Amino acid sequence: MSEVVWIDNQRMTFDNSVAHKLRRLADTAEATRTLSEGMRVTLKVNVPEEGYDYSLRPNFIRTLADVAWKATQARPNICDGQRLVDYWKRSLGNAFMEVASRIGYSSETLGGHFVINGGFSGDEGDLFSCGDDSELGGVEVGTAVCRSDALWVLSQVTLNPLFGLSGALYNGGFDCLSGRARTRVLDGLNPYMFNGERPSLEAQAIFRRRALESHLAVRTALEGRIFYVNYIWDVTPQPAYYPYSETPLLDNLGFMASHDPVALDAATLALIREKLPDRSRLPETGFKAVIAEAEQLGLGRPDTERVHLS
Amino acid sequence: MADNNCEPTKWTEMKAPVDGGRDTYQTKSWNPPKEKWGPFTEKGTPEVWFSEANATNWTESMICKAKDLFYEAKLNQCFKKGDEVAIKIHYGEYNRTAILRPEYIAAIVEEVKACGGHPYVVNDTTLSYHTHNSMAISQYQLEGAIRHGYTDATFGCPVLIADGYAGEDDYRVDIPEGLIIKETYIGRAIAEADAMIVLAHARGHTITMYGGVLKQLGIGCQSKRGKYITHLAHWGDPHDAIGWPKFTDQCPGKACDFHKLCDNSCPRSAHRVFENGKRWYPERCRLCYSCQVTCGFSGHAGIAFEEMYFPNAMIAHADAALGALKCFERGKVGYINHAIDIVPECDCFPWAGLAVCPDVGLFAGKDLIAVEMATLDAIDAAPISPGSVADEKELKPGDDKFREINGFSPRITMAAGAKIGLGTMKYKLNNYEPILNQENAAKWQVRPNAKKPTTVRLRDTFYRHDLATEVMPFKRIEYDKDWVWNEWKKYDPFKGETAD
Repeated sequence: MSEVVWIDNQRMTFDNSVAHKLRRLADTAEATRTLSEGMRVTLKVNVPEEGYDYSLRPNFIRTLADVAWKATQARPNICDGQRLVDYWKRSLGNAFMEVASRIGYSSETLGGHFVINGGFSGDEGDLFSCGDDSELGGVEVGTAVCRSDALWVLSQVTLNPLFGLSGALYNGGFDCLSGRARTRVLDGLNPYMFNGERPSLEAQAIFRRRALESHLAVRTALEGRIFYVNYIWDVTPQPAYYPYSETPLLDNLGFMASHDPVALDAATLALIREKLPDRSRLPETGFKAVIAEAEQLGLGRPDTERVHLS
Repeated sequence: MADNNCEPTKWTEMKAPVDGGRDTYQTKSWNPPKEKWGPFTEKGTPEVWFSEANATNWTESMICKAKDLFYEAKLNQCFKKGDEVAIKIHYGEYNRTAILRPEYIAAIVEEVKACGGHPYVVNDTTLSYHTHNSMAISQYQLEGAIRHGYTDATFGCPVLIADGYAGEDDYRVDIPEGLIIKETYIGRAIAEADAMIVLAHARGHTITMYGGVLKQLGIGCQSKRGKYITHLAHWGDPHDAIGWPKFTDQCPGKACDFHKLCDNSCPRSAHRVFENGKRWYPERCRLCYSCQVTCGFSGHAGIAFEEMYFPNAMIAHADAALGALKCFERGKVGYINHAIDIVPECDCFPWAGLAVCPDVGLFAGKDLIAVEMATLDAIDAAPISPGSVADEKELKPGDDKFREINGFSPRITMAAGAKIGLGTMKYKLNNYEPILNQENAAKWQVRPNAKKPTTVRLRDTFYRHDLATEVMPFKRIEYDKDWVWNEWKKYDPFKGETAD
């Protein structure tokens, strides 16, 4: 059974603000237990597409960047890869940085070096094995992630039309790959289902399997030194890589953290289901099957011991 | 006293320089050259615009003149509205002070934006030039850039590393025209731009003798792989050819105070100190310069360059510059040389020597070699700065300064560049002097298009709220005309005598 720490967004006071809560979360979940002085830590975040208006506030990221900085005495990297396809015909690295700048994401505001995972082109990466039994064989993990000593996956939880839920498993796996590798994993699937047309269940299942195998490659690259935080904050029906979003599904529930991505996403899904006022707003995503497959691949355990802080 | 014998290294045991993955990796160019690439000048003498350093009024500010030259030299025509425009600069080594001030870069970014371009500022990572180099790792390079004031906020556009997080985000470009090197690797943020404006700090360089806009293309645009090629790594046999460091019998071994620093200088552990010298493992060496420069920086000559290295490296970097130019259509690259703080060494040095001559000014144009030649000629004609290395060597105006200071004439590079199609060595110099009038005074100010200049805006403010009057009268001594005219002379070492 893996431990998942949940800190809700209740009882806000002058000494229990969001920043205080995030620091307590990191402390209770032992975020820094694998870190030591001089290590290069990368924080993988979700930089939204232009038009997506519910991205995480910079200080939500900065608070944890400061924790990593303190533990290593070195400035962390903060990164994300470029978008899946050239939706706005502006997928170059400079456009990515301009969009990030508009929402206040910069090295100065985020408290670390804000870089593009995979470089200007998004294609800079190293090949890592997904395991002997994998369908993919191996995938290229973006350089900002794979050249680090440790990885913190800071995910804004949203629904995801392909994967079911954007959280630790998606953000710490498929989303850490170089652009070329992601194109290969997608294998022709259109990640932008603006017209509501979804891929067949078969195609979706293949993608999910490959995306989970990608997570194995990331874990190999980091030799297991990965820590996950799910921000259950502005849980929108569309993921951050969409160029728009409808309003969030439910009130903000706080933050969850764990060293086990399967346990974390399972606990996140359970909490959302528990707190969702209108169950009809949560479409059947099949994400439980994703969690089961992730367990089968050895990415973690879905049975969780939830520690609740407030 | 140490016995300075150098133990024979293993180079003779090497069958070939290296068993690489050449045959299976990048067998063809990833980024075929643009169809219409080529030197800007097809016939006749190219024009170069020049504006001298110095200013006495609004219009003569160096920043204002840089903006004027941008238009005079028609650099605004290098790109179309909506084009992605790379602004290539050198980010400068950590602790370096003689670098371009951020204002010069911001000024051009502003004009590229004003003309409808999408600018972004770029530089590639370097190789490990010495033990404490900051520019070889993208994260460290950006830390240094921020310290120099090179940020998104100061420039008003993204500040990027052109060859990615690890220095491997690059394109291979074939250069069959090259005199020495036949391929190079260009950072993708440069290779994928629609146009490029190159802003160079014109000054000396220890390897290429001089560094200006050509150096920005010939080394600055190259990714790590491109830099290895341009360094001529592994060219010839390890024991006597220029593609390798030269381990001399001058190394005192462990008796050297810097031997730990020296051992740490190699990112591939290709040499180790022993009692009386260095042991070298050439099969690990890639010629990054780190051991040679670290040895030289610490005042020693144990690891040096092979004879005739420098002029060949100069030709090679002209070849490499052509590789960068081939990523753009003809006329899509513009150049400005800033002959300011003309120090003897490169911006990748972690210090700055005294300038060899007073500031000269700005040179702009679209012909790479012409801009360089105009800059070099003007620097050579300039007076010698007292206390500088040029002064120590008793140089005179008109001498080939960087030849005398660094060893070879930079014109070797220019002649090689002209031969392979980088540009033209002849040039017509247009001396630009701004005219002082109301329009020009207002043109490049903080709110150039404002209907109300600063004072008129303040007039509105003071009309509503006169901050001085409300605290008047100010507390001062009684006004005494005799005191005002004479009292200050008591504090003046010249007792009030005015200067002629």
